[in-house]
Amino acid sequence: MSELRRVRLYVTVGQRLLRDSLLFQILLHDDVELVGESETGVDTLNRLNLARPGVLLIEENLRDNDGLTIAESALSVHPSLSVLLISDTPVSSARMAIYLEAGIKAVVSKDQPIQELIKTLFYIRNGQVYVGNWQQPPASAPAALEAYQGLSGREREVAQLMARRVPVREIAGQLGVSCKTVHSYKDRIFVKLGFERLPELILFMQRHHHGAAA
Amino acid sequence: MASTGAPEVILRYDHEQDRDQFTELFARDFTVRPFATDAAALAFLTQASIAPAAIIILPRHPNEHVDSALLAEARDRHPRLLKILLGETIALNLLVSMLDTQLIDRCFEQPANPDLIRSHILTAALTPTATPPSRLSQTVVGDYKPAVLIVDDEPTATRYLARQLERLQGEFRVLCAVNAQDALLRISEEGDSIAVVMTDQRMPGVQGKELLDELRQSHPAIVRILTSAWGEVDVALDAVNEGRIFRYQKKPWQAGDLLTLFRKALNHHHALVAARDSSRCEAERHFAELRQQRHARLIEALSAPLEQVIHGPVMADFLDALARIRTLPANASHLRASRETHLEQELVRGFANTVRQQLALLTMPPNRGPLHPSELESALAEMATDDPVASEGDQPPLAMFCRSLATLLAASGLDHRHLVLDRADGSLRLETTAPLKMYSHLLAPLTRLSRPLLEQQTALLMLHLTSRLLAGELTLEGGEQSYWVTLQFSATASRWG
Repeated sequence: MSELRRVRLYVTVGQRLLRDSLLFQILLHDDVELVGESETGVDTLNRLNLARPGVLLIEENLRDNDGLTIAESALSVHPSLSVLLISDTPVSSARMAIYLEAGIKAVVSKDQPIQELIKTLFYIRNGQVYVGNWQQPPASAPAALEAYQGLSGREREVAQLMARRVPVREIAGQLGVSCKTVHSYKDRIFVKLGFERLPELILFMQRHHHGAAA
Repeated sequence: MASTGAPEVILRYDHEQDRDQFTELFARDFTVRPFATDAAALAFLTQASIAPAAIIILPRHPNEHVDSALLAEARDRHPRLLKILLGETIALNLLVSMLDTQLIDRCFEQPANPDLIRSHILTAALTPTATPPSRLSQTVVGDYKPAVLIVDDEPTATRYLARQLERLQGEFRVLCAVNAQDALLRISEEGDSIAVVMTDQRMPGVQGKELLDELRQSHPAIVRILTSAWGEVDVALDAVNEGRIFRYQKKPWQAGDLLTLFRKALNHHHALVAARDSSRCEAERHFAELRQQRHARLIEALSAPLEQVIHGPVMADFLDALARIRTLPANASHLRASRETHLEQELVRGFANTVRQQLALLTMPPNRGPLHPSELESALAEMATDDPVASEGDQPPLAMFCRSLATLLAASGLDHRHLVLDRADGSLRLETTAPLKMYSHLLAPLTRLSRPLLEQQTALLMLHLTSRLLAGELTLEGGEQSYWVTLQFSATASRWG
């Protein structure tokens, strides 16, 4: 992978808890490198030159300045920076047009799931604009829940055991199958549910514990 | 501009199955108008009062659309309409020739990623006139003769071609680079005189397509051409869809073909530059009007409440000082925010409210003597321990002065340690050791009204007001998104207002 392709990420998020949570998720992807982080806009602009990020993930509502104003200023000096703005609230069409005309590559609101943010981050890494179906209310049943109902009985069993962090070897023993078979169940479950990692499955199963996934 | 309702998309399909699949995928995003023939789609396009956002060609045989009358009509009559071709397989020759005739803007092989198709269409619908953000500084070239830069890791062949091309014409210079880094270096040395970059795809290090991606953002007016001997369709498709290349030139090169190509590319470059310059001028002109109206509204809304505290043109002086702080030039996003949202009204209302709240806190102690230097010193020392937001009670001018200063320092990433107080010749002089930052202000192009903006603008106004009340003289020297303030008290003349 050449130098222009790797995501050199700079994160400007005021609250530590939110920043950490985002980074824990984003840095699971090994082609992302964190080159700097700030709590404020001024600090971001002061440090951008040295950090040379490719992508700036910045909150719109910062303590010291408007995030978009900071992003515009950063872009005037570093025009090839890809900016992903995080807004507090869902964005209207008129606002989205303003963001795009200001040179922002994408906007994700705090109402959207983390997967949407990560997907967006990868779409904009080479300087592409990415506009998702940001105004659509989430479908009545989340796609993963529908997909879960489509799993076979055995797949559901494996998913429940995995979500309880039962090791693969024990799952294999309980079900009387080989470890290899459990692994292939696991792969199928992940593909069907659209997950990439165990924490996503654990969260999904816990969230829907009393619902269809129980 | 489809700011209300879903963008409209013309779908030209050959198979009903394809139509149904497309409609199902995008029913939530677009109003899809499906047509089975060019004639029907053309009829719709001709009578449409508002041009649709995009036209999608979903053919059984993509080759049949090489001379599509529908696409030609769309290209000639609706230059902002996005033309997308979706095909099972796309032959490189088809792509190259449709790029030449500018019949398509984007091209995807099936199964295409619906996220990307949606994004391309929504972007086109939202920003029909999007112009790239303008750079802060522009290199001005006096003796202007445009240059074409050829990037290829075979310097012998490139240099031979360059000499041939230079002999054939006198309109442009031909420069060479051996890789992407070398190319970027040449571009930074040459400034804006490089009009066209033609790069080979396969090079050691950064590949041609990536170089063009970089240039699209850093130098949007440079016309980009990708060239390759390998005929990789996927690279060519990415270069069209992501890199927005002007043409794809197959190797081996013929000097004659390239001459024609570069002449077209130069014309395109001149058109891009002209469009960019005129949109900048337009934006600046329109914003100048908006700024004047805003100025008048601010004076009207605030002169009276300020007049109750102190006589004199505080508001006008404050706005004059602000105007000296240079911010980024206006562009389409600022104009849209001012015209299509309630920004202008909310700005004046919001600022007036914040200022009134501060004025309500201001108390005027009766008959004070001159401001003693030690008073200012101890007030400034308190800034170190005070949380400016927490002190909400009534405030005499000196306390409010310090609080406003603390707000402005904090917004610049500074604090009380960046203040120096100088006692000399019976006067007291307060200044900062670093410039204060201001990326936007009341008279600058704005995209949004934010709380920090209102707080900082109010703080700067209160700094003006309270320094007058303290009989000090505030001077503000404006810079590029920054400013210096100096406050001078003449010890003998100091009185509370």
